[in-house]
Amino acid sequence: MAERDARIDRLLLSQEITDFLYREAELLDERRYREWLDLLADDVRYWMPIRRNVKLGDDEGEFTRALSDINWFDEGKDTLSRRVKQIETGIHWAEEPRSRLSHLVTNVQVQGAEPSLAAPQDVSVTSRFLIYRNRVETETDILVGRREDQLRRNGAGWLLARRKIILDQNVLLSKNLTFFI
Amino acid sequence: MSAINVRDLAPGTSIVLADGAEAEIVTNPGDGMWLFARYLSSPRDPTLVGQEEMIFAPDVVALGR
Amino acid sequence: MAMDDKRGYRSGLVDLRAGEVSREIFVNEHIYAEEQERIFARAWLHVGHESQIPKPGDYFVSSMGEESVILCRDRAGKIHVFLNSCRHRGMKVCRYDQGTTAVFTCPYHGWSYGTDGRLVGVPYFREAYHSRLDKEKWGLVEVAQMHNYKGSIWATWDPAAPGFTEYLGDFTRYLDLQLDGWDGREGQAEVLGGIQKWLVPCNWKFPAENFSGDTYHNISHRSVDLAGIGPSGAGRRDMGERDVSRKLHVCIPDRGHQTIHYVLPAGKSPPPAYLNAPIVAEYVRHCEEERRRLRGEEARLVGAPGEIFPNTALLSRQPRTMAVWHPRSPHQTECWRWFFVDRDAPTEVKHFLRDYYIRYSGPAGMTEQDDMENWNYAHAASRGTIARRYPYNYDQGSGTAVTNYEYQGLRVPGEVIDLTETQSSEQPMRNFYRRWAEFMEADDWSRLATWRGGERKAAE
Repeated sequence: MAERDARIDRLLLSQEITDFLYREAELLDERRYREWLDLLADDVRYWMPIRRNVKLGDDEGEFTRALSDINWFDEGKDTLSRRVKQIETGIHWAEEPRSRLSHLVTNVQVQGAEPSLAAPQDVSVTSRFLIYRNRVETETDILVGRREDQLRRNGAGWLLARRKIILDQNVLLSKNLTFFI
Repeated sequence: MSAINVRDLAPGTSIVLADGAEAEIVTNPGDGMWLFARYLSSPRDPTLVGQEEMIFAPDVVALGR
Repeated sequence: MAMDDKRGYRSGLVDLRAGEVSREIFVNEHIYAEEQERIFARAWLHVGHESQIPKPGDYFVSSMGEESVILCRDRAGKIHVFLNSCRHRGMKVCRYDQGTTAVFTCPYHGWSYGTDGRLVGVPYFREAYHSRLDKEKWGLVEVAQMHNYKGSIWATWDPAAPGFTEYLGDFTRYLDLQLDGWDGREGQAEVLGGIQKWLVPCNWKFPAENFSGDTYHNISHRSVDLAGIGPSGAGRRDMGERDVSRKLHVCIPDRGHQTIHYVLPAGKSPPPAYLNAPIVAEYVRHCEEERRRLRGEEARLVGAPGEIFPNTALLSRQPRTMAVWHPRSPHQTECWRWFFVDRDAPTEVKHFLRDYYIRYSGPAGMTEQDDMENWNYAHAASRGTIARRYPYNYDQGSGTAVTNYEYQGLRVPGEVIDLTETQSSEQPMRNFYRRWAEFMEADDWSRLATWRGGERKAAE
């Protein structure tokens, strides 16, 4: 019976977390950025390393380091909020006219829950994303990769406390990253 | 006999070459193609013994003792 | 295809008397092909920084024009720049971005080269080549000249090119601002880990002219100033010193190098910055003081965006970066951006500056994003048959540059326009395209080294 309960706990949590990620993606794609910011913890860390081509065995060298190296993104809520503010000016020409975006989130796997699956406060979850961005007339970008998220319980819901974005590219094939991943 | 991946062989390892010579790895550049090795024996050309040469991976037919 | 597309460079495309430059030079495929030969095979190009390859065997794969090159330090500690292509059948001998190695081995047939470029391993050398291949002759292709300038590595494929410092001319002091410590000590810069590389659908000359000192496009960055990402945590995106200084355009004629430049009034220090980060504020204050002590009057010079001909951009102040605009096609540029800090700066200072750099520059940089949008669609809208008939206007401030400019006892060499009153000029772009035309027309360096008394006729 206890084993069955544990499996149900896992299933419920997995569904709850997946729902959170889908809702988050929907907010971004519907350009409801202020509501998206509300899903971020005040101490959120949003990190997207640059990926290098390295020799088999040099796994550490494949990614630029958080907090000390140059990355694509490595920032907190203040800078993320300023990005939203910039888009909202209507004169941020790299997003004006605005992009059309679809975030597809898949392969969602809850990797751990503390203190327990039954009463989780902190959850680590991995997923894959495919982001389709189309803007102006024919300009199109496709970004694919992995996200490693830390979510934190916030009353009945969740907050994003940390996101590591692993893009499957070396030279960035897009001219800019004016959108959230 | 299956091919040997020379990429990760440690210096000091002894190797047997296609012509029957035996050599000891001095340094391994890790490219999977070449080894820097010193000849321990060379039936074909005994003057090679003691000399260091670059050995091409397909010439390594076995690991020595 | 436009009719004109069948023709390459001809004189008149850059017409500085009229203050006009033809769109052809940005979009024409023949001109692009000619540029590879006449500009990128002859000019000095930026390759990297020695702090990226501190130990023997370290390498960093870079690019010179369209071509991949390896910057590496050989076993004896000597720095080299090699074409990243096997001499046997052309395969790239290194497809990693950086690392440490004893040899560069071609994955195709196995030719192997030492870090000094010498061909050391040839499969079946005895059996197939009968030991007759001249290995000395078949080493990696090395650049004709390499120069380590205060840690930054520059190279050219042309043995007849003048030495790098002669190539820089009076622009030296602006590159010094990039590479010397903020405290005025020589060559104190180090590169932070992580080089940003990204593709922009535009001709390489769009970013090159922008960084030459386009003071006129400030308006396109209004959104980032409204969002407020300044180094002190909010407000305008750059430093306060611009408000108290003389703001200049400085162009080095003959060389094609140009920059924006601030000169502080005599006896005046820059306004305090980084007020929300006391450690950084204190570090900057300390550096300014040291710099005045070491450099005297020269410490009044403050760097800003600039361009070393043809494709290296400087930004010596904030964010402190260098970029190279690699041509990939007439319609595509691969941007590479290096970020610098003083190597002896406290760790907290490095980290703080890094945060600022990332939110400012590169594809995720809230300032640079809008630049790339402009370059992209300016290029796209200039490709058509009709569009190409109409040149761009570069007439702003024509004929107003002065030589022997002096401000409160400090002389500034080169052709100078004081922007403090005029707000803007296009002297830097005229300087850039004049040099560009000279490179396209001159057959060799005896005519390109115009400062040695050669002829100067292009575009005049």
